[in-house]
Parts: sequence; structure tokens; C-alpha cells
Amino acid sequence: MQVQAQLTKGKITLKGSARIVTEFFKYGINSILFQRGIYPIEEFEVKKKYGLDVWVSSDPQVTKYLEKIMDSVGEWLAAGKINKLVLAVNSRETRETMERWQFDVHLVDEVVVPEEKPKPPKSDKALQMEIQAIFRQIAASVSFLPILEEKCTFNILVYTDADAEVPTTWADSDPHHIKNAEQVRLRSFSTDVHRVESMVAYRRDPDLC
Amino acid sequence: MSANTAKTALGSSATPSMGRGAAAAAPAVKTLKDERTTAQASPRVAGPAARSGGPPSPRTKKASKTTLYDRFIPSRSDKELASSQFNLARGEGAQPLDGAAAAYQSEVARACGLSIGRRILSFTEEAPGGDSSGDVRALYSRTALKTSASVGSRRSIRTAPERVLDAPGIVEDYYLNLLDWSPANVLAIGLDQQVFLWNASTGDVSTLLTLAGDAYVASIKWMAGTSPYLAVGTSDGDVQIWDAESGARIRTMGGRQARVAALSWHAHVLSAGSRDGSIWNHDVRVARHKTAELVAHRGEVCGLTWRSDGALLASGANDNIVNIWDVRSLVPRFSITQHTAAVKALAWSPWELSLLASGGGLHDQHVHFWNTTTTARLNSINTGSQVTSIQWSPEYRELATAHGFPHNHLALWRYPSLTKIVDIPAHDTRVLHTAMSPDGETIATAASDDCLKFWRVFEARPKGALPKSREADVAPSSSAGYASIR
Repeated sequence: MQVQAQLTKGKITLKGSARIVTEFFKYGINSILFQRGIYPIEEFEVKKKYGLDVWVSSDPQVTKYLEKIMDSVGEWLAAGKINKLVLAVNSRETRETMERWQFDVHLVDEVVVPEEKPKPPKSDKALQMEIQAIFRQIAASVSFLPILEEKCTFNILVYTDADAEVPTTWADSDPHHIKNAEQVRLRSFSTDVHRVESMVAYRRDPDLC
Repeated sequence: MSANTAKTALGSSATPSMGRGAAAAAPAVKTLKDERTTAQASPRVAGPAARSGGPPSPRTKKASKTTLYDRFIPSRSDKELASSQFNLARGEGAQPLDGAAAAYQSEVARACGLSIGRRILSFTEEAPGGDSSGDVRALYSRTALKTSASVGSRRSIRTAPERVLDAPGIVEDYYLNLLDWSPANVLAIGLDQQVFLWNASTGDVSTLLTLAGDAYVASIKWMAGTSPYLAVGTSDGDVQIWDAESGARIRTMGGRQARVAALSWHAHVLSAGSRDGSIWNHDVRVARHKTAELVAHRGEVCGLTWRSDGALLASGANDNIVNIWDVRSLVPRFSITQHTAAVKALAWSPWELSLLASGGGLHDQHVHFWNTTTTARLNSINTGSQVTSIQWSPEYRELATAHGFPHNHLALWRYPSLTKIVDIPAHDTRVLHTAMSPDGETIATAASDDCLKFWRVFEARPKGALPKSREADVAPSSSAGYASIR
């Protein structure tokens, strides 16, 4: 990336940032589905994104399902109404939440300090590196996350502002928290408009307590 | 909606003051704090102790425009029905609350365990179910992708014969070639003066011919392709062509004095090598059948095979020399003199056109591999026993060598690494002749202990294509159907 192009690039817009964050969610959720074995590995294929090989589901049902979710999420992001996105991994039989991946979305407000000059807009490269770091962390998280013994399914929860427009496909629900959870905060990234922080909570092994 | 105003009113009263410096990391003003996500400053795992116990007192709340505060709730597994109902009950057009009322509202809400101004939404549709178990262990214990089974995989090779037939009266003579297996799955064996046919598919045995006089059968070879013609070389020097289906002799090609112990077909051309060292090429379609006479050997020709494309003929003889003949010339293209004993075992590789394997007799015991294009010797094996026959397996890229003195065994070797796979003790006496079945799976061996044994050493792999039907040594070219023989 030329420095020239970097400086002459305009600030990223809310819509553009919303798109970036939505894409991040889509690939991030696919990665988590792959890494945690929610769907068998045969149903995934490798795509190049963010300078990495990311695993994306090749099952059309899953893709369509996520597509619908991401549409709504994208709209909320563009409207600035979404606060968190949570991927809850629940056991199929007991419906208990085994793992909870939470992505906090904050709108970055530029605090204009007159003395300082405005920060240069974030380069694509830097953004990509930040997102790469998160993906690598997701992949590395398997080293401490307990193996999911049972068959699991997942649920996407969204924390929105109360005045957000909610299509009928979404309904109120409980936050799917985990009792006695261990939490690990993962890295965050920020376009200049949105800032996404991520963390994972999982069930603590009862034997270890 | 009144929730909106309630939110802004609430905002003035709420700021968490968690000792962990929650706001430190967040740059901006509009932050929604969830107390459950503590340990923001430190990236380590936050245990239960890190979570704050209860709500901070109202005094510590700072004025912050849209900061909301949510109280810690240890566990909630049911939906937030109360919150939804509360929101609905307020309805449209409710008056905005003033500061004090809003603060009271927030306290009440907290006490009741509700969160105001924020909705937790879940997608109503269920995620599509995966059929097989998403076992994460499978993900991490995956071995490398499957390579072809022939590389490194051990298949079990039976060292016991699949079948044993009687072959009484077989002549114990190293130089003869008395066994051949046709592509039509019929095995022909010469036992002294007779030739027997054994149908491998049905198990029937029939006598094809009995030679007259004192002559005995010295060599037999099926014609390439689907035709049922069998060439029989006799000790008189005659070469007879028989039709196996009708049992009739089609032709006799005479003119030689010495016995014909080696035969090899290529399309309509039959090469016959005899004891006097000459090799005659017969065109079996015409009356004047002798088309060429190749004279170079000074010993009995015991090994003779055409290459599959018919461009080269390899001949091995008792003079320890292997000659490679070009079909267009009467002089050998080159000669191999490395062997120190008679060379009877000759086999062209089915997958590499210029590769020839030659095996030496009692004194030599070596198998050499040659590139017949460059005349270079590629490799050698010291087998430790007299080599009587070589068979290649295209399915597994292996070769089988049959041996006489002293061990009388079958050996399987991997090519090109030339590692020995297995030694199979085959017979009590020298394994004199071998033939490969048309499906490439079984080798038939004949020895003078009167046994004809079948060894399924190249069993086809269960998945994937079965090996194409092969023929022993001489592979057909494009000759299809019958060639008319007079």
C-alpha cells in the first residue's frame, strides 16, 4: 500500500465500516463453527481472506442461514444500533450453553482534541493485520477451550438498542450466559467507525475447581 | 418510544465504577457496559472472583449522557419476559420521566432484574443441523490425506498357495517354457508330450494335444489378444499352431533341426528361439511363414519376449548374453553381457516402456534392470538363487521373481526401491515356469515336484479400478479379433 494512497484515501464511512464488520462476523462465525466442530470438517472449504486461509462452510443451508442473520446485522451496524453479537454454542440435548463467543461493537466517536492533529485514517493493511490476529486467536483458542463432547448447535444473539428496527425473524431471548464460566478476552480491531472487541466464555471444568 | 427517553434520562445516573478500570480501555463515551464482561484491562482469564459482586451505589454514578448500566445477574435461563412486558406495557406516548423518576425507575428495574433500553435478540430460526458428529477431536487427529495405497501400505500377502493342481510328468529342464495363461483365462501347461488346458473360470481340464513320436513339448505360448490360438514348440524343431476352442491343429511350421524352447508373439508374428541359438520370426498368416532369422546367440535361446509395442525383442540364451533386437533389423541393437549364467527370465515393465528386467541362472543369481533406450543398467538385485522367471505387477509397481536352486522360492520386490517384500517358499524343487493371470492378481508356478500352484500375491485393491487384464510377458498391441491363419 502506498503511503500516498493511504493519505489520500478518505475516511471510512459508516456504511463501509458496517460492511467490514459484517464480513468479519460472517467469517469469524464460520471459523468458530469449524474450529469447535459444530459441523463436520468435510462441510468446510478454505477461502483466502484477510491474507489468511479461513474456513467457510460449504453447506448451502448453513450459508443461507448465516446470510439471513448477517443481513439484519449489517443493517443494525449501519444504523448504529447493535451493541453486541454473541455466538452461543449450545448442547443439542440439554440446551445448555457450553461456550459463548461475544463480540462487543462500539461506535468510535472521534474526540476532537484541537491541539492534536487528526489521526490518519486507518490503512487497510493495519486493519487486516488486526483482523488476522483475531482469526489466529480463534484458531489458537482450541488450546484452552475444552473439547465439546456432545453434539452442539449454535445460536446467534444480538444486543441492540431498544429502538432498533427488529424484523420478525428475530425475537427477544435470554442472554445464554454460562454458569461458572471462564472468560478469556481476545484481541479487538477497529475500523475508524466501529470497534469490535471479542471474548470467549466457556464452562469451567468442574474437576479442576 | 418512551424507552428512548427513559434511556437518556437513565444515562445521567448510571456509570459503573468497577475497580477494574472498565472505561480505561474504551476510548469513547458511548459505551454499553456489561458487568459480566469484566477484566477488560487485563487480557487474562477472569475467574469468578473478578466479577463484581453487586451494583455500585448510586452515589458513584457519574453523569454520562448515554451510558447504560446493567446489573450483574448470576444466572438467568429464562427469557426476559418481564422486560418485554414492561416495555409493552409502557406503550406509546408515555410521558418522559424526569430525572428523579428516571433514577427511581432504573433502581426498580435493577432490583427486579430487568434491563431497560436494550434488547437481546435471537434469530428465531434454528441453525441447520449437521448429520455427523462434529467431533473436534477428528479435526485435530486427522492424519495426512490418503496417499495411494501402494506407497508404504502393507497389504497382507498370502504365502500359502490359493490352489494346487497336479502336473505330473513335467519335464525338468531349465531351458523350456511350458506354462502360459491366456487372456481368456485358460492356462496351458505342457507335460511331456501333452498339452493340457485348464480353464481358470470353470475349472475344467482338457487335453489339447498329444505329440506323436518321441517329441515332447518344449514351449507353449498363447497368441496375444482374444484369439484362442496356441503356439507349441516341440523338441523336433517344429512350431505348431493349435486352435484351443476346436482342438484342431491349424498349422505346422517346420524347417528347423533343434528344439524350439522359447516362443513369443507379437500380433501375427511369432518368434521362435531354438537350441542352435537362432531365432526365427514367423508370420503366421502367410504360407511362407519365415520372415526373419535372427542369429546372434551361441547358446540355446531360453528367454524370448517382445516389448508391448512390438518395437523391440529381447532374447536371452545359454551363452549368458541378452540381445535386444530392433524389429527392423537383423542385427541386435545391443547386447547385455553382465550376466554370468544363462538368462531365461526376461520381462518388460508394463508401465515403463523401455524398462527391461533380466534374471540370470545358477551362477549369476542377479536381476538387472535396463533402460533399453539408453542401454544403461538402472539397477540390480542379488537374489541369492537361480532366477527362472520374472513377472511385473502394474497394480502395485512390484515384481515377482521365481527361483530355482537353492531356495526354490518366489520373491516379491518393490520397484523402484527394490526392497524385498516377502519370500514365499513355493515348491520342493526348482520353480521352473510362471505365468500371470489376465487380471494380474495371481501367479501360477510350475515345478518338477509335479505341482502347479497358484499364488494370489497381487490381490486387487477393493476400491478403485481393478488392474486391466494382463498377459504373461507378451502384451498385445492393437491386434483385435482373429488373425486368419492358414
